Amino acid sequence: MLLSEKQITQLKRRVRETPHPREMILDVLHAIQDANGWVSDEGVELAAIILGLSPLQVEEVATFYDKIYRRPVGRKVIHICDSICCWSRGSEALMQRLQQLLGIAAGETTIDGMFTLLPTCCLGACADAPALRIGKTLYGKVAIEQLEAILDGERTEVSS
Amino acid sequence: MPTLIIDNQTVTVPEGTNVLEAAKRLGIEIPHFCHHEALGSVGACRLCAVEFREGPVKGIQMSCMVPAKDGMVVDTGSAEVLAYRAQVIEWLMTNHPHDCPVCDEGGECQLQDMTVAGGHGIRRYTGPKRTYQNQNLGPFIAHEMNRCIQCYRCVRTYQDYCGGTDFGVLGSRQRLYFGRFSDGPLESPFAGNLIDVCPTGVLTDKTYRFKSRIWDLQEAPSICPHCSLGCAVTPGARYRQLQRRRARTNNRTNGHFICDRGRFGYGYANHPDRPRYPLLGHRRVTWQEALAALQNKLQELGELFGPGSIGLLTSSRATLETQFLTKRWAAALGSDQLCFEAHPGRDLGARVAASQRLDRTASLEDVRNCDLAVLIGADPLSEAPMLALALRQAARRGARIVVVDPRPVELPLAYERHAVSVEKLGQLLRGLSRPQQSEFPSSMEELGGSLASALLAAKSPLLIGGTDLLGPQGTEAMQQAAEACSQPETPCRTMFLLAGPNSFGGALLSAEGPCFSSLLEGMEQGRIKALLCFEADPLADYPDRKRSRAALARLDMLAVFDCAATATLQEADLFFPTTAVEESTGTLINNEGRMQAFEQVFSAGTPLAESAGGSHPPRFFSRDIPGSEPQSAWGILGALMGRSADLLTLRSEIEKNDHRFAGLSQLEARGEGRRIAAPRQYSLSHQPNISGIMGSDQLQLLVTETLYGSELLSNLSSCLHESTPSAFVMLHPQDAARFKLEEGKKVLLGTPVGDLTLTLRIAGDMVPGMAIVPRLRGTVLEPLVPGTEPLPCRIEKA
Repeated sequence: MLLSEKQITQLKRRVRETPHPREMILDVLHAIQDANGWVSDEGVELAAIILGLSPLQVEEVATFYDKIYRRPVGRKVIHICDSICCWSRGSEALMQRLQQLLGIAAGETTIDGMFTLLPTCCLGACADAPALRIGKTLYGKVAIEQLEAILDGERTEVSS
Repeated sequence: MPTLIIDNQTVTVPEGTNVLEAAKRLGIEIPHFCHHEALGSVGACRLCAVEFREGPVKGIQMSCMVPAKDGMVVDTGSAEVLAYRAQVIEWLMTNHPHDCPVCDEGGECQLQDMTVAGGHGIRRYTGPKRTYQNQNLGPFIAHEMNRCIQCYRCVRTYQDYCGGTDFGVLGSRQRLYFGRFSDGPLESPFAGNLIDVCPTGVLTDKTYRFKSRIWDLQEAPSICPHCSLGCAVTPGARYRQLQRRRARTNNRTNGHFICDRGRFGYGYANHPDRPRYPLLGHRRVTWQEALAALQNKLQELGELFGPGSIGLLTSSRATLETQFLTKRWAAALGSDQLCFEAHPGRDLGARVAASQRLDRTASLEDVRNCDLAVLIGADPLSEAPMLALALRQAARRGARIVVVDPRPVELPLAYERHAVSVEKLGQLLRGLSRPQQSEFPSSMEELGGSLASALLAAKSPLLIGGTDLLGPQGTEAMQQAAEACSQPETPCRTMFLLAGPNSFGGALLSAEGPCFSSLLEGMEQGRIKALLCFEADPLADYPDRKRSRAALARLDMLAVFDCAATATLQEADLFFPTTAVEESTGTLINNEGRMQAFEQVFSAGTPLAESAGGSHPPRFFSRDIPGSEPQSAWGILGALMGRSADLLTLRSEIEKNDHRFAGLSQLEARGEGRRIAAPRQYSLSHQPNISGIMGSDQLQLLVTETLYGSELLSNLSSCLHESTPSAFVMLHPQDAARFKLEEGKKVLLGTPVGDLTLTLRIAGDMVPGMAIVPRLRGTVLEPLVPGTEPLPCRIEKA
């Protein structure tokens, strides 16, 4: 079960109340992702049924946004911005250091299934460059020395 | 009307025209990808940059995004502009593979042309290229994503213009992918247009793959023969094989696009079973022998039984020239037993439709521009697919589309749907013809009243009817309704869907002549001894096949002139092969009375692919081209009458003889065609007696056309077979429950042509009390023909 019957009923009701069901695509995808960690092909098909759209119409949105995961990811996804502001403030070095600390390349998941490392084109935090996001927590003005502590904090948050 | 200067030439264009189109009027082609006349501008490809020297905007701008304004001075080829374009094209080419020699688009590739036009000759980029996995998109379209340049034309065509929901754009930025959610055939019946709009080799014609380069093709402007709309097409042939069809632009009819039935229905011309030689009985004979046998027999019968013993029949597939000469020949023979359609209902329906005032007749262009269209008894996707696309364009501009039909009519757009039984359609139309008195049957009051007031209030209202379901009376009622719902400033126009590409021509020529029922009567009574069928198939098209078979069997001579192996051909005593549309010239009159000429694409002959059996061409020498004996039906008729076979003389004679065809001799195949000068004289004197009141709880059988499988010629095209449904019957859920039947299971349908085993489909949006079957040639459903009153039937578990 990707979603409970109750969740499906609730989402369908919200879709009915929306004049344009397409507005609800991200909400439904997030619900599926929150419940399963990622959105599988079956997840896209379920979303299409809930929304009354074709699977392609859902997939167009799902694949546009890099915060919807269409492949399995670790428990926490690290998005590190590589756009112009963050790049000019040293994001390349951050990315390299993260790869060292985690022992993985960009796009990979740590062997313990904890972190997936992904570059992203913007986190909307240009004023706080360089920025990265782990799970749903945003870290701004990140210095390279802080990275170890940030990762440790995120690890303990999960275990506690 | 702004006036501007482009490359030192002055041009005045209508308000709202963009600079790219303004330049085109001067014959200046600005390189571009994403702009398309039918799809509009998005300014995405950045290739159509021009330099604005004077006027409201200055500097380098995208010409497709800037509306023409007074005082503009534009340079399309300054050094700066050329450098800009060269850079853009170089970017677009970074990921494009160097596979032009094996790419099917080669030679007709906009990317090739624009790369040259943009001045990008030598590739500097040497890095790795982005690659993709392709999808299987079904039998019509090949997918090669590596060649994509992200112009978005395919998505704009498929989703926006055609209303498809299963093909789109995935990903973002460098990761864009144009395709489906998963492998599978494209669902839209207009998917083939992707081939025409893709500016490079991503989406190409799978049925034409690896067959020819465009410069090896014989091409000419032609007309699609697979329904009554008369869409403009450009067929291409090589080695005596018709290899493809693509859309041609006619802004009055199809616009820029065509449907998949039209695009992939071309295979009939190459059909391996196509009869290519004259036959006497089943024996192959020469033209001279066959013609002599025909003349002798006709003379003998004429002397023995009088000229009235010879019946002549043409069809809606025959050209105007063929129909006219058949009429001439009948007159020369002295026979009045002449008919232009084997199906009496369709014959009379077309005669009524062709009597509509011309200023009340809608073209597809009028459909695209209407603000209200009410479809009564019309199923566009089955009966005239491009009408559905025209309706979609109207709906996109805000038009209201209402469908009133007993069948579950599907359209690729948002529309209102009313399931109404066949009898009530007539009552509704009669009510609409007296909107002030609101004489609607009790159950129709609300719908009828609201439709009448909407039609009266609309700016450009339209009534659209299928003559199959409306019948002659319903067609007449729709014309009266249109008259009644017209205001002086806002006339309500009509569009009628007819049986074939030249139903209209036959209806004009038929005057008060008999319909095929009375010819059959003549055969049954032994008065008619010979029947000459010019591109007509009375056995398959007359609704009562048992009757037509028995009547044809009584003939002394059945002579058939045709390009397809029809049912009637199997019974023929004499056979004369005729050319396919693409192998000849002629004129067809579409359902709005538009005369459209078509040119010869290639000469008839057995395709080399067939005679060579896929190997080296045969190594024997002969002066004759194998299989090249078919001649145009009008040419044969001319020869039989001892006339010259000059088309222009013939067309001049037709227009001199009948003022309605004025302008025929000046008709150019490349043009927009020309409306006839006057409609048919109105008369419904040959009304057949329509009875058939059935018990209310008895199931009625309705036979309807379907997109693939109903139309004779396209059904002979092998590439459509994969998309043709297998025989089914459709029931309302209530009836399925009443008879305890389940979806997808085999059921036994008792019909006047016997008990048929069919698969059950359940459709909630049809009227109850009715069983609907498609007309499917080559299946058990073949003897059932649309365009009749509903038949009695029963249904049970198989």
